[in-house]
Amino acid sequence: MLPLRRALTLIAAVGLIFAIGDVALILASHHQTEKAVSAVLGPIIGLSFIGTGAFAWLRRPHNRFGVLMVGVGFAWFVAGLVSANQPLLATVGAYVGPLYLVMVAQVIVSFPTGRAEGDWARVLIAAAYVDALLVRLPYFLLGGSLSEIAYVGGGLGLPEDRFAVAQRPDLAAVFQVLTSLIGVAILGGIVAVLVAKRRSSTVPQRRAQAPMLWTGLVLLATLAVTFMLDLLGAPRASQDAMAIVNLVAFAALPFAFLVGIVRTRYTRLGRVGELVERLAGVEARSSLRDALADALGDRALQLLYWRSQSETWVTIEGREVAPPEEGSGWSMTEVRAPGGEAGGNGEGVRIGAIVHDVALLDDPGLVRAVAGSAALAMENERLEAELRARVEELERSRARLLEISMFERRRLERDLHDGAQQRLVALSLQLGLARRKLQAAPDDAGTMLDAAREELLQALAELRELARGIHPAVLTDRGLGAALHVLADRTPVPVDVEQVPDERLPAPVEAAAYFVVAESLTNVARYAQASQASVRVARDDGYVAVEIQDDGVGGADLHKGTGLRGLADRLDALDGHLRIHSPPGWGTLVRADIPCASS
Amino acid sequence: MTSVLIVDDHPSFRASARMLLEAEGYEVVGEAPDGAAALAAAGDLRPDLVLLDVNLPDLDGFAVAERLSAAPAPPAVVLVSSRSSEDFGSLVRASGARGFICKCDLSGAALSALL
Repeated sequence: MLPLRRALTLIAAVGLIFAIGDVALILASHHQTEKAVSAVLGPIIGLSFIGTGAFAWLRRPHNRFGVLMVGVGFAWFVAGLVSANQPLLATVGAYVGPLYLVMVAQVIVSFPTGRAEGDWARVLIAAAYVDALLVRLPYFLLGGSLSEIAYVGGGLGLPEDRFAVAQRPDLAAVFQVLTSLIGVAILGGIVAVLVAKRRSSTVPQRRAQAPMLWTGLVLLATLAVTFMLDLLGAPRASQDAMAIVNLVAFAALPFAFLVGIVRTRYTRLGRVGELVERLAGVEARSSLRDALADALGDRALQLLYWRSQSETWVTIEGREVAPPEEGSGWSMTEVRAPGGEAGGNGEGVRIGAIVHDVALLDDPGLVRAVAGSAALAMENERLEAELRARVEELERSRARLLEISMFERRRLERDLHDGAQQRLVALSLQLGLARRKLQAAPDDAGTMLDAAREELLQALAELRELARGIHPAVLTDRGLGAALHVLADRTPVPVDVEQVPDERLPAPVEAAAYFVVAESLTNVARYAQASQASVRVARDDGYVAVEIQDDGVGGADLHKGTGLRGLADRLDALDGHLRIHSPPGWGTLVRADIPCASS
Repeated sequence: MTSVLIVDDHPSFRASARMLLEAEGYEVVGEAPDGAAALAAAGDLRPDLVLLDVNLPDLDGFAVAERLSAAPAPPAVVLVSSRSSEDFGSLVRASGARGFICKCDLSGAALSALL
């Protein structure tokens, strides 16, 4: 037997002992006037709270709601001590009597999470405990009459107050009135909090909470009226009538909780059946979301689709979105292909997800059943979403490529202007000067011609470098292998070109591979502080895989700087992708996969 | 002797231009690498002529020429660039400069033709 189950069985057994004790007190009581009714109803009410509380506790062990319900049951039995003939026991019973009402108010406010949400709710519940246990205490200390305040079907002739330290019934009455006034105010506040909570709830939340909420509202409202009737000195008969309504609502509460559960379970079967029928019909695309929204009763529900290639979630429009965060009020249930290829854990392939109101998690079975029925229809839509996401991605990368090409043209113009052009200007001036000095000072002219030649060589070197950056001639003439070896030789860090295919590849593939290696080796030389690097190019199942690895400091990021980002966009345009694995302190691995049909 | 301030962000051009102008009988009184330094040097040195590159790292040559021309007793300004005068159209005249010389055509004769 599980530890929790065993503990709850024990609690139920203790509850039963309390119930028997209560019945014994009632039957032996000198002042209990409705012994038969009390002896039957008392234990039923107490045990129904303990029973449903234990059930809720077992069902959701981390939700405090079950604990609170069990607490109400025991508080009810303790309040039953007021039937005791023994004065001290009866006084204790009368003193803690209202505690079960405070606890039941807490149960209602905390439903369904088990926690009172919102400052007002917490303040009101705390105030209720203070009112019941502290504001009311002076009544007992000042020798107030137990008969005046007994809540449990008792009549007159209760034993005397054993907490009394002074006999001031007049002063005691003041505290009794104060307690009731505060009680009415608190109850009014709680009713307002509940009404506001219902207003702000979503449809699925309302459906799950309706039975508890309505029963609770009746209970708290009639309790407030009972207090007021007492304060206004209304006839005893009207107070008794109100008390009966009150008791019925209180006794109904555990059953309202059960009705809520049964209702969602019963409707689940109907809803899933209806959904399957709707999905079988040929309907427009937008109706899948609507059908699921109807089945789950969540009008704001959203569908997300999984892109396994980029490992991202997208909407049907192909827009990339982040899954909902915890505490956002939204929850996500994954949809997987039924019996698809088992990924070792027995689960089907991930298709998408339903983003729904977090309240639906109270009935995870319904969400799972709906997700299961929708898998096939969602798989069809996933392909559509994938296509749209791809188009959007291409549009984005095309825009970035245009931007990059503009940027590169500006850079090229700048490089030409600042480099070779300036050197040629200087050269022209030097030649002019040398020409003038040729006759008068031939030695000076010679020096100037030497300087001019040096300027010319520099200009040539810069032009060569620039041309290589645009497209290296060795790549066109001698292929990728030769071009990569030249790159490796020019890099200040030792680079080992480990593997390159012998055959020529299509020109765009060779160019893309070359620039991936060139940019990566530039980064290795500039930032990596590496002692060596290696380059591998291999054909791999319709792709050419290019890998550059170094033993440097790592920490490279695709999203920082334009170099790698520009490469990723160039590869995107070829339907390829770029990945970087660069944990700080562990070197960097850049891998590009470029589509390349086998020849 | 005509005093000249040479303004250009490329040291190689400043050095070549200084040699050339001094050989042609001009007195080079200073050099400046950008627009702000050019304005300051022109105020301090009061040259007769400012040889001013169009492409400077801060202000462009036209803006510097406008400011120099607006000062009292302004120096003569001649704009230079490695680009051709066709690239600039009417901007040269509008800036208040005397004229424009392509850097590779720079000579004493070309300068005196504008002064």
